[in-house]
Amino acid sequence: MNYVSKISKIILLIVAIFVFTFPLYYMIVVSLSTKSTIESGSLLPDLYFGNFISVTEGMWAETIVHSLIITVLSVIFTLLITFPAAYVFSRYHFMADKHLFFWFLTNRMCPPVALLLPYLIIWRSIGIWDTIPGIVFAYFIFNIPIGVWLFTSFMANIPKEIDEQAFIDGFSLWQYFRKIFIPASMPAIGVVSFFTWFFTWSEMFFASVLTSFNSKTLNALLFVTLGRVGYGVQYDLASAAGVITIIPGLLLLYWARTYLAKGFTFGRV
Amino acid sequence: MNRHILLLMPSIIIVLAIGIVPTICAVNYSLQNPFTEVNTFVGLEHFRKVFLDYRFADALQRNMIFSAICLAIEIPLGMALALILYERTKINSIISLIITIPVLIPPITVGLLWRLMVRDTGPITVLLKNFFNLNFVPYQNPTQAFATIVAMDVWHWTPLVCLVVSAGLAGMDRSPVLSARTEGATRWQIFRRIELPAISFPLVFISLLRLIDTLKIYDEPTVIFAGGPGLTTEFISLYIRKVAIDQFVVGYGAALSLIYNFIILLLCYLLLIVMTKGRGLM
Repeated sequence: MNYVSKISKIILLIVAIFVFTFPLYYMIVVSLSTKSTIESGSLLPDLYFGNFISVTEGMWAETIVHSLIITVLSVIFTLLITFPAAYVFSRYHFMADKHLFFWFLTNRMCPPVALLLPYLIIWRSIGIWDTIPGIVFAYFIFNIPIGVWLFTSFMANIPKEIDEQAFIDGFSLWQYFRKIFIPASMPAIGVVSFFTWFFTWSEMFFASVLTSFNSKTLNALLFVTLGRVGYGVQYDLASAAGVITIIPGLLLLYWARTYLAKGFTFGRV
Repeated sequence: MNRHILLLMPSIIIVLAIGIVPTICAVNYSLQNPFTEVNTFVGLEHFRKVFLDYRFADALQRNMIFSAICLAIEIPLGMALALILYERTKINSIISLIITIPVLIPPITVGLLWRLMVRDTGPITVLLKNFFNLNFVPYQNPTQAFATIVAMDVWHWTPLVCLVVSAGLAGMDRSPVLSARTEGATRWQIFRRIELPAISFPLVFISLLRLIDTLKIYDEPTVIFAGGPGLTTEFISLYIRKVAIDQFVVGYGAALSLIYNFIILLLCYLLLIVMTKGRGLM
């Protein structure tokens, strides 16, 4: 019995490795191949690094820089805005607090396409279309609800008695935040930063409409490159860019997997 | 207390500005024909048209079938994986680490991965053609295209179901299982009577979440088939984007967006009822 289960586990392991890593392996092969090798459908790369050189210069390099700036700004502002808000949600009851809290979630779940048309028109009319602040602002619609919900679920586990003791000891709210509450919330800050970064870095839909030249993101350019179905697509450059889009996620895979269930369920599971 | 409300203000103001204001704009646009030569107030005419729109009805129906199929595969499969990987052995943690990889790949890159795999000289096409003798031409055959998108979604999101169910299992009290085993309960009985009730919350939660997400799907099908062949893999988001953004038919596009948003909002409310265990917002 034990033998059977062990062997079936090993078979499962091999299948899992194959199924879940082969597509990635194949994209890496394509990104390291020349056009003619890609056409032939070879499963072995010819270790040609020209594609990676191409996507780290010119237009591609600009979009990578834009993506990085946008994600970093999103993370910083989301932390600054949602940390205090979540503190209030986790500590106080006030009129309609649950309604407000749920309303944040409905914004996170809202289909992007339903907001995109008004965004496009408003962003153009107030002049923030195709600017980095404009797209960071648009991403707040996802990032703020995620931040508030994740922070609140973590902060609920920090005992309220600590607050009370600190305020009795004469701490101001700022001192309390700086000396006690922020250090105690460090893991939550890590998790919120990660998910804000991840959702912003992965997002393509808003970026493809709300950015065009001055703030075009890597994903938006990748989308344009893949725009034509069939022949004539630059699979070589697209794959190299695709490899770049997955690097940050895979680097943090080991650390992130503990929190993935939490991040995708807003801290509810 | 009052100064604490101030801490809440930045997030509320921003989400009002980018959540509510655009919705009000959309309502306003949906009642007229903005950005056209003769802009007239048309009342609810656009909404009436939505209900007569065959392309929207097709996209909605297709999307619902897609969601149903994806859920029917992902939820049992993810749950089975979580149960298989429950014990904390070395081999299990390696497997669960590897199957986590797809969740951390951006959706657009998942579309790219699968497009590389199913293009004319891609490995899946070659495999199915040469070893299974199947005429695999997803760019011409709608059924195969649809199946490819389902396979892609299953590949991408089953691991998440597994992770969420595992999180539920990890918080479970293990002693009833052990005593049931000594009492001679079968594996099925243990699952049905002890494990399933313990993971019912994460299971229902992730099912609703996946339902909402599959109804919102955009990146992957667009990148891989762009709604083709013909319009046979056109999902709701793809259709609305074509009308509202690419063709810039603002009035009608806004009406479509609002109806779509309303459907998702109803599902969100269901999610809320699950989260609060039936108590709602009261």
